[in-house]
Amino acid sequence: MASWPASPNLIGQPTRRVDGPLKASGRAKYTYDIVRPGMIYGRVVRSPHPHARVVSIDLAEARRAPGVRAAIAIVDLSNPEPATHKVLFQGQEVAAVAADTEEQAADAARMIRVQYETLPHLATVEQAMRPEAPLVFPDGNVREANVVEEGTVDAALAGAAHVVEGTYSTQVVTHTALETHGLICEWSGEHLTAYSSTQAVHAVRDGLARSLGIPQASIRVVTDYMGGGFGAKLGSDTTDVVCARLAKEAGRPVKLMLDRKEEHLASGNRPSAHARVKAGLDAGGKITAWDCETWGTGGAGAGAGFPLPYNIYAIPNRRRRHKDVYINAGAQRAMRAPGHPQGCFITETVIDELADRARIDPLELRLRNLPAEGPDTMWITYFPMGAEKIGWSRRHPFGDPAAGPIKRGLGCAANRWAGAGSRRTQGQCEIFPDGGVVMRIGTQDIGTGTRTLVKIVMAETFGLTLDQVTAEIGDSRYPFAPGSGGSVTVGSVTPTVRVTCEKALAALAEKVAPALGVLPADVTASGGRVHAISDPSKGMSWRDACKQLGTASITVDGAWEQGLSSVGTSGVQFADVEVDVETGVTRIRRIACVQDCGLIMDRLTAESQCYGGITMGIGFALFEDRRLDRVTGQMVNPNMEFYRLPGPSDMPEIDLTLVDQPERGVVGLGEPPTISTAAAIANAVSNAIGARIRHLPITPANVLAALEQQRAGGTL
Amino acid sequence: MAPKDDSSVSRRDFLRSTGVGGLAVGLVGQADVRAEQGVREVGPGAVPIRLTINGRRHELSVEPRVTLLDAVRHRLEITGVKRVCDRGSCGACTMIVDGRTVYACSILAIEADGREIRTVESLGTEAALHPVEEAFCAHDALMCGFCTPGFVMATTALLEREPNPSPDAVRRALDGNICRCGTYKKVVEAALATKGVRRG
Repeated sequence: MASWPASPNLIGQPTRRVDGPLKASGRAKYTYDIVRPGMIYGRVVRSPHPHARVVSIDLAEARRAPGVRAAIAIVDLSNPEPATHKVLFQGQEVAAVAADTEEQAADAARMIRVQYETLPHLATVEQAMRPEAPLVFPDGNVREANVVEEGTVDAALAGAAHVVEGTYSTQVVTHTALETHGLICEWSGEHLTAYSSTQAVHAVRDGLARSLGIPQASIRVVTDYMGGGFGAKLGSDTTDVVCARLAKEAGRPVKLMLDRKEEHLASGNRPSAHARVKAGLDAGGKITAWDCETWGTGGAGAGAGFPLPYNIYAIPNRRRRHKDVYINAGAQRAMRAPGHPQGCFITETVIDELADRARIDPLELRLRNLPAEGPDTMWITYFPMGAEKIGWSRRHPFGDPAAGPIKRGLGCAANRWAGAGSRRTQGQCEIFPDGGVVMRIGTQDIGTGTRTLVKIVMAETFGLTLDQVTAEIGDSRYPFAPGSGGSVTVGSVTPTVRVTCEKALAALAEKVAPALGVLPADVTASGGRVHAISDPSKGMSWRDACKQLGTASITVDGAWEQGLSSVGTSGVQFADVEVDVETGVTRIRRIACVQDCGLIMDRLTAESQCYGGITMGIGFALFEDRRLDRVTGQMVNPNMEFYRLPGPSDMPEIDLTLVDQPERGVVGLGEPPTISTAAAIANAVSNAIGARIRHLPITPANVLAALEQQRAGGTL
Repeated sequence: MAPKDDSSVSRRDFLRSTGVGGLAVGLVGQADVRAEQGVREVGPGAVPIRLTINGRRHELSVEPRVTLLDAVRHRLEITGVKRVCDRGSCGACTMIVDGRTVYACSILAIEADGREIRTVESLGTEAALHPVEEAFCAHDALMCGFCTPGFVMATTALLEREPNPSPDAVRRALDGNICRCGTYKKVVEAALATKGVRRG
């Protein structure tokens, strides 16, 4: 069975990102930067209305506009099914043009005459759930799931020593990758090359093949560098097909990149989550009952699932009724740990409420209710570690008794994530007679450092340096690797690279062994040499070894194998905040993060994943909020100043502890660190101000509202 | 400008289409009054301009509405700095013009006529990095990298002005830049660790 080296040279070290110099010097070519010969620009016409029937689309004037080479309707009014003539959200694609310059394309887009018959719309979940709401979605505005129940909830609640009850919510946020969705489509006869900003080159190829009705073999998708995705770029989009059609009609390569407003409206978001929870605690501090009604919106016709109670604490009796609520807004997509930040926030807030009600330290309450430890469920160990780091011993009970308007508080929360490698992953390794080594694998680097990890494993396996090996990724022509989502990339790619490179090395050993006078099984590579294991003095340089190949290189295919990666990771985060109870402004002083991560490949990029996840968690906690006007249904902040993101001055001190578990092999780390940040911050704010934060984001207005509610009698 | 069918004309499109005179063109409407006020009228067609970028002079012809960023990226194919928000709130397009950082998405190319413009390409090469770029790589102050050229430019401008800034000064200088991957902690570390930037 394949294994990782017992005493590695590179694995686990802080290795600089191999493409750092290209990125830092501005020379890395992202999709947005690529210019193809003869390339022109596409522009999409989108519905300004949240709900409407498209009556007519007139492309004639646009076609005559300067520079225009293609114009198409996206809503197909010849389709006999009238439902397809409707647009269901502001920003839905209606028509498109391509012209020689971006400015000409924008002008021509305005010349496309679209007549709409506006229809009643739903801008909020509250509007959609009213009994008298207009029926906007044919099968109902609300899709109700079956009640899920374990144990005997009513009896447990009746017997509980303490019961808390409250309503909680998290807002819709958008991915806001800095490189918007987009691509360049270039036809050569019936063959299409798409340079796409995607997290999944193979999925985009397959989606384009289905939509265009052409063979998968006729499509190549390339992603050398991409400017972030966070889950929103895992498949092919309407605009991918539109771009291909425009390019076909124009007979030219077409670049179609969304602008920031389009990106907010139509390219995915994290659904909202709402819950009415009633939870019970017995006299011994065991959480015995959890009863909840939950709902949320993922936009037009998309679900809003999230785990609740968040599956960490052992709660024997649980009941849940869930409703997906549809509104006229762009559909949700997977966003960094789908469902988990929402479920974690609600659950961890309720747990703090139970602890405060029963006058038990919230950390102690958690320890009493955590499941037994396993390699991927280490919270009983991690909570005390985090508590030590944040200085939990100086935590005061609910409400900072200090005089003055600045109140300080502490909070904590736990996270878990699966992140298994995909057994479908394949790769190919080629060793050239001149000593070059290339690994081809159809993954992509979305900013996590995948290209660097491929090279680390190659160099480690062949005993070479990073600059002696080549990683070829980001191309659907390379062997299959899964989309970079769900924290599966490191667990899919690095085992596959290891297995494939070991096979290639074994093939090289066959060729070199006779010259060394040993058996092939006795041959290995290290320190730039190929040599006998039994007698390292019997050997030759890597270059000389490869010369033994003559004229034919070695090409070896490999596939993922069990034993190099594990499923499951656990972690905790603590927050230390201060809140001005006169202005409502929250400042995060420190975050302490304890995160396990299996076998670390590159310590630098592993740390960066954690810092990045925490930073995104801060945005979710304090700032970000996709706002739709409740009357017009229009997004009021489709930009980057009123859709507020954290910036350098919003950053706290971050105390990061990565817990090595090399015996587990690699485990994905992209998602877990973002899950519990908002929950820890919210609990810290409640602890500071002595009023419960039950809704995100924790804006100054929401802090003041919580204080006001507390003064008015509150619920605690 | 095309008559509008719906509300798709943004604030910036409006400003772009009214050109360098901004609102005055629409509101005053009389050529002699504009001349008295010293308003130079150009466009709406393409006008010739000279951009001095990274020490090289480029002659090009752009419509008045074209931003400096779009002129540099689309007409000259200098693509290091990016367009992300396109309205001066994220810093991904940061250039240094006459020694000061600007959001290149928020000034027009015709306004940059004759001025000294620097983009990230003026700093280092992949083989010979600028000290700021080197520090960003050493500290892993970049992930997807899309915001990085903007951060590198903002950091460079700061260090050319103030070679030994405090952590607070670094954060303030970089507050106009947004990174979605969350590299701020390491960006600040990199900026503080950078040595050898010459005073600009």
